[in-house]
Amino acid sequence: MANNDNLLAKSGLNFFGRMSASATHEIKNTLAIINENSGLMEDLSMMAQKGASLPFDRITDISQRVTKQVQRANLVLNKLNRFSHSVDRETETANLEKTVDVVLNLASRLIEMQGITIKVRAPSSPILINTNLFYLENIIWRAIETICNASQKAKQVNISLKNSSGTALLGFSSDSLDSNLMDNVFGSKEDLALLEHLKLSIKKNIENNGFDLIWPKSI
Amino acid sequence: MSEKVLLVDDEKEFLEIMSERMTARGMEVTTANSATKALSILEKKTFDAIVMDFQMPGMDGMEALKAIKNLKPELQIILLTGYATTEKTVEAMKVGATDFLEKPADLESLTQKIKEAKTEKMLLVEKRTEDKIKEILQRHGG
Repeated sequence: MANNDNLLAKSGLNFFGRMSASATHEIKNTLAIINENSGLMEDLSMMAQKGASLPFDRITDISQRVTKQVQRANLVLNKLNRFSHSVDRETETANLEKTVDVVLNLASRLIEMQGITIKVRAPSSPILINTNLFYLENIIWRAIETICNASQKAKQVNISLKNSSGTALLGFSSDSLDSNLMDNVFGSKEDLALLEHLKLSIKKNIENNGFDLIWPKSI
Repeated sequence: MSEKVLLVDDEKEFLEIMSERMTARGMEVTTANSATKALSILEKKTFDAIVMDFQMPGMDGMEALKAIKNLKPELQIILLTGYATTEKTVEAMKVGATDFLEKPADLESLTQKIKEAKTEKMLLVEKRTEDKIKEILQRHGG
């Protein structure tokens, strides 16, 4: 048990670091754009002081750009805050779709770097499960990372959420999958410790070019 | 003479405003939104410096740096980055990056670095020309 705890802690710390790095990088990019808009405003102001007319349409444009970037950064910060609070409780009721959304948002930069877009399909009624939220986020990220790494030639990866006869299912698939890379899916000690802690099973889905994470019982 | 700069970043808005501000400061700016596009532009045009985001979708920053250096060894490369670890910085410098600047960048600092890069490139080109002349003279017993 102590060994499993160590593995979970190691995996968790690594995951926390990667999400924080990805999110803060995204925020840095928004700050860089805000900074350039501010600089442009200063340039226009200096030109106006020298006698040029102030282009009001450009000022409006700058203001709109800044507002857009503030909203973009705020979205990332909201998800980062929610993510930070996911370690607050040992067990809680988690909405699977919202949890996938938090991970996708925080990891957007890491996913974009691979040139992959992710499409999520979820049923209209929410799928709720009782679990440890932080480890749930961790396993979702590991699943995304695994499917993206095994789909180097793919442009799109699909995540589908299903709820049938008391079972919650999270499917990961892509249109171009390297089956060799899939052979050892979730084979590391850290991944196995996560699967065991969350009491979920993994099943290869050959028909859909991917794999499914299955929870025995949803709420 | 104005500095010829290739600005590479995947953030469209950043590229637009930064190039406008650099142009207003007398630089001749060409933009590319990926390392692959930058490489294709570099095959056709010459620049004094390239200012490039180190982390972009598609080609990895280090891979892009090596490809650029391979294509244009004398080109000065200033890397823009959100966060860079010391390890990555050292590695990039070894591969041939001239300088690093953290985002959000101060345009005046960047302008200064571009001017320094242009001087460095001119010195490199002069040195290469001098070496070639010496080699020709030696070959002809001069």
